[in-house]
Amino acid sequence: MKRIIKIITLLVAVSALWIGLLQTSVLPHSYTWLLPMYSIVSLGCYGLLMVGVGLMRFPTCPHEAVLLQQDVVEAKEFLKQRGVDVSGSD
Amino acid sequence: MELADRAVGFLLSLISLSIFTYYTFWVIILPFVDSDHFIQQYFLPQEYAILIPVFAGVVLLCLLCVFVGLVMLKSKKKKA
Repeated sequence: MKRIIKIITLLVAVSALWIGLLQTSVLPHSYTWLLPMYSIVSLGCYGLLMVGVGLMRFPTCPHEAVLLQQDVVEAKEFLKQRGVDVSGSD
Repeated sequence: MELADRAVGFLLSLISLSIFTYYTFWVIILPFVDSDHFIQQYFLPQEYAILIPVFAGVVLLCLLCVFVGLVMLKSKKKKA
């Protein structure tokens, strides 16, 4: 509940700022009308950029991958001895 | 395998940066440029600067609803 109140407060503050900008005409009128659309597009772009940068810098740890495969083989052997079905189909 | 990941990440960041610069140019810088400058022919009329994001947002919303509907149908079919 608190989170929704926080988000709504933020939205109300931003829209009040935008309407204030409209009334006092600090910026030219056409710019003020396009400002919310521009901020939404730039927010989407920023998210996409963060996803791309995160993909590029993702660490793969090949050593741990090998160890994990060994663990999986060991576990399968162990469970097969106890009679559990580990064929791996859904 | 990680090369494919890096390539996709690089492509994504390139797309996002180009969209951002194009949109910034379109909305902020272009009104200041004279109407017979050569750069004006590379940009669509200014109405499209609003129509295209709104259209993309509506398409995204529709795809989201379709996806949610498909998942719900599939789960119901599996339970029955």
